[in-house]
Amino acid sequence: GGALVSCHRHYRSRPTHGIGRFQYLLPKEAPKKKKDKVQMKEINVGTEYEYGDVNIYMTSYDMCLVEHFAQYVHKLCNRLSVKVNESYAMPTKTNEVQLLEERGSKLQLDAILTTHQRVVQISGLSSTFAPILLEIIQNNQPEGVHLLVKEHTEADFKSRLKSRPELEELLAQMN
Amino acid sequence: MRAQPKKKKKVDVRKEQAQKDRMKKKIKKLEKAAPEMIPIEDFVTPLKYSDSNRVRSLPPLSFEETERRVLLMKKWCLFKMKQDKAEKNAIQALVEAQQEALKELRLESEELYQAAIRRDEGLFPFERDGPNHTPPLPGYDPPEGKCIDITKVYTQ
Repeated sequence: GGALVSCHRHYRSRPTHGIGRFQYLLPKEAPKKKKDKVQMKEINVGTEYEYGDVNIYMTSYDMCLVEHFAQYVHKLCNRLSVKVNESYAMPTKTNEVQLLEERGSKLQLDAILTTHQRVVQISGLSSTFAPILLEIIQNNQPEGVHLLVKEHTEADFKSRLKSRPELEELLAQMN
Repeated sequence: MRAQPKKKKKVDVRKEQAQKDRMKKKIKKLEKAAPEMIPIEDFVTPLKYSDSNRVRSLPPLSFEETERRVLLMKKWCLFKMKQDKAEKNAIQALVEAQQEALKELRLESEELYQAAIRRDEGLFPFERDGPNHTPPLPGYDPPEGKCIDITKVYTQ
């Protein structure tokens, strides 16, 4: 019949049983956790000293420029085989600039500026290579982009999370 | 007469314990919820760019113009490739020179080599402003004013 001809599975007694199986060869994926993992910090001390998690912050008023620069830094680290943990964006800050008019009548002009920030997190940077990497990034830094390189701390991670005023109030009351 | 102060103590202690238990339960409930990340406004297209049907209509280009553009693009690609290769060669030369210098230093004295290999504690935090388009004007008087931070604060 047509049903048997179109069936691709071979019978269990046949030597061809299980042909085509491959899922058991693939590495097992860890089950996805919905909760955010707090942080992973590398050991900083070693014989050939290496830096732990280092964050490269790029800040500018121009979003496209800062994004392109962040992509450039990410690709550069890939090319130089520096391990990149994460590449994320920090929340945008909006500033309303009010200027005093010079003509006596103290009106205030308005302008709205948005500050964008991108972060590239690298780890395992060797102490001999770090100044070279910094030099390359500085050479290619576009105008208007502020560069800040510092070590990753828990406070940096928590600044990305939403504030919980109720929880903080209750904890303060407890103590 | 004797019973009243005892009642006060027991009732207060019980009330306080009940209050503390309620607060602990509330804290546990709030802590169960995982902390959320602040949403980034950059990645959300504002609505005013999604509704309109405005399409830019460009005039058709002449053959010479397209040829000129293609040849220009090729020259630009070649230029950028040479620039990139020069940069890669420079990095390679830097790393090689560094490795050679460290080898020589090792042959000279082991102590200095070990000290050189160590990581620099004063390197981070490293801060640098981008290069400016023009140098600063000598007699510039900036207008007075103030900046108000109007970023939206997200709470969970």
